Amino acid sequence: MEIEKAAVAGTLESSDCMVTVEDGDGNIDLVLESTVIHQYGNQIRHVVLDTLESLGVQNVKIKVVDKGALDCTIRARVEAAVYRSAGQSEQLPWGGAIR
Amino acid sequence: MSDYMEETGDPFTGKKKEELKKFLEYMGLTYDEQITHSIVLRKEKEIIATASCQKNIIKCVAVSEAYQGQNLLAHLMTSLIEYFYGMGISHFFGFTKPQNKELFCSMGMYPVTQTEKILLLENDKNGLEKFLKRLKKETQEQQKCKVENRHENGIGAVVMNCNPFTRGHEYLIREAAKKNKWLHIFILSEEQSFLTTRERYQLVKEGIQEIPNVILHQTSEYMISPAVFPTYFIKEKAKAYEMNCQLDIQLFGERIAPELNITDRYVGSEPACDVTHTYNQCLREQLPCYQIRFHEIPRKTYGDQIISASEVRKRYAENQLKSVCGMLPESTWRYLERKKNENGK
Repeated sequence: MEIEKAAVAGTLESSDCMVTVEDGDGNIDLVLESTVIHQYGNQIRHVVLDTLESLGVQNVKIKVVDKGALDCTIRARVEAAVYRSAGQSEQLPWGGAIR
Repeated sequence: MSDYMEETGDPFTGKKKEELKKFLEYMGLTYDEQITHSIVLRKEKEIIATASCQKNIIKCVAVSEAYQGQNLLAHLMTSLIEYFYGMGISHFFGFTKPQNKELFCSMGMYPVTQTEKILLLENDKNGLEKFLKRLKKETQEQQKCKVENRHENGIGAVVMNCNPFTRGHEYLIREAAKKNKWLHIFILSEEQSFLTTRERYQLVKEGIQEIPNVILHQTSEYMISPAVFPTYFIKEKAKAYEMNCQLDIQLFGERIAPELNITDRYVGSEPACDVTHTYNQCLREQLPCYQIRFHEIPRKTYGDQIISASEVRKRYAENQLKSVCGMLPESTWRYLERKKNENGK
């Protein structure tokens, strides 16, 4: 999927994360801020990149501000941000790419 | 959701604005009339927290003491960020007192620069670095097709609005270019009335074509912009301007000038506008701290008139462009005349 416009999903509340995406420079540029970066930084990165891969996103600037979200939350927030960036808000193919 | 209610205004007016003003005042802040959007959180009817923005700049953020430590800031910031993305804004800034640094950094903001009283943050981790990189790249590219002034060693800089480009600007540029190996010209990127940023840039580009040693840039939020000129939590209005340009001068002196090896900064003398006059005054005092020399060049006159872009704008609006044609380089004159004719049809 292509990132058509900048979009955001999630919140800065505890146990959630805020994900913002915008058009990239030809690659995946991930910035991660997390309250538990030392414990789970690599795990979170892995979840984000894995989610992007299953969405077929290869060109994106993505920023995740994590407040201790569970993997499933992170996954959902990344998907929502990417779907929003494509302007789709109905009939979402959760877990896959919009085709 | 907890027991408080969110309310937004674009911006607030009337009684609600007065209420917000009062709350901010109580919190030691001043409501900024430039605000375009505000959020307040209320418990029962009382305001307990608020945040506002002026376009892409977050300001006037406050949480009532009794409610601090409940992470109301997370709620405010989430709402503001959603608002920004809804408006198509993905790069934004924020002001706060330096003691709130940790708090804002935990919301995904990064410090850009700070003075004793103000901290400027942005949401892009490398925003300023990207800007500096862009300046460097523009410099290298333009130097390839330009020729340095071999008689001088300094690297000069002028920062101008050029709305529109006049013979006064041209004169300042020529004078500064004569005294430097290279001269960097920064055109303000903030959109304003009269000419668009693109038009202003284009007219300067045409007007300076034959000067061999100048390099043209557009500024960004990091130079003379609403982001680096706040009128925020400043109580003594007399000192306001002095405070306001602090971030701008610091960014220029600490980050921008070193990146381009700028040694000299030039301004035109400013008899008419108080803000610019005070700004020049501050530059004169502070630039030497960064080993940058400051030069004020007397305004160019035309007959007995001082050349001024605001005069040109005024005459243009009054259909009297001819009366100021001597103030304009050929390219600007032709452009404005054409524009006037097109608008007249």
